[in-house]
Amino acid sequence: MAAAESTPTAKAGVVKRLITLPLLVLWRAFFWTYDRATWQYDLMVIAILAFVWLTPPSLLGDPAAQGDGLIGWILEKLK
Amino acid sequence: MTFTGAIGAICLFPLRAIIAACVALRIHPNVLTFTGVVVNVAAAWALAVGRFVTAGVLMVIANIFDFIDGKVAKELKMESKFGGFWDSVMDRFSDLSLFIGLIVLYARLDSAQYIIITALATMFSVMTSYTRARAESLIDKCKVGFMERPERIVLFMIGAFTNRMAAVLWVILVLSIITVADRIYYTWRELNGSRNVEETLAAEWQQQKARRQQRRVS
Repeated sequence: MAAAESTPTAKAGVVKRLITLPLLVLWRAFFWTYDRATWQYDLMVIAILAFVWLTPPSLLGDPAAQGDGLIGWILEKLK
Repeated sequence: MTFTGAIGAICLFPLRAIIAACVALRIHPNVLTFTGVVVNVAAAWALAVGRFVTAGVLMVIANIFDFIDGKVAKELKMESKFGGFWDSVMDRFSDLSLFIGLIVLYARLDSAQYIIITALATMFSVMTSYTRARAESLIDKCKVGFMERPERIVLFMIGAFTNRMAAVLWVILVLSIITVADRIYYTWRELNGSRNVEETLAAEWQQQKARRQQRRVS
């Protein structure tokens, strides 16, 4: 059994299995077909809001922003 | 109920009262659409002079008009093909006004980088609408991709109220590029009858799951 699992064919099978699901998730995130008000939509909204509010404006070179934003406020509070 | 569904349901309460008032006053839906554009132009001016909170408030007002016009048309039984066309055209004016407001702002701040980013976001936002309109003249429906107008508008409001317009522009740009690519791919696939990549991956995943279950049983 152990010998069979270490054959090149079995190894390829494991790699294929490990790759298929992440690829499927990535594909579905890029090739978006979900409706609004679904859990997938919620997840995307949370990811976008996290990017907008947690990325320090200085990192993006934002010429109009003032202060470090939410992440700066959190870091300030932690200090 | 999902998080975004709950927010939508909460927002619908005050909107119902506004719709009822417009129906009672028998305001023509096309007038509501046009009013929305005028308010959006004012929001664009506020963006151009860097008054983000004012711009955010104006965008909320403008988009109330934009949201209710269709509903009022339905209630007043004034739905028409021209109404739909007028709404779509005015939407483009509204979108482009906001982007121009931001371009003026970044020009005043001497930020060539963000002028380019805003211009690219403008281009791909227009292309998002255009690819769908053109695709739907060839195929039945092309409603794929995340970054449509409502998402763009809500992002603009978030950017204005929280003064994070640069991050919002990056999100709009990247997701609009992906949406345009999605729509081109989807239309190509529908017209050529090719197999979806997702179907192939999903079939592979199902096969792997079935094999695992079979192994567990044996």
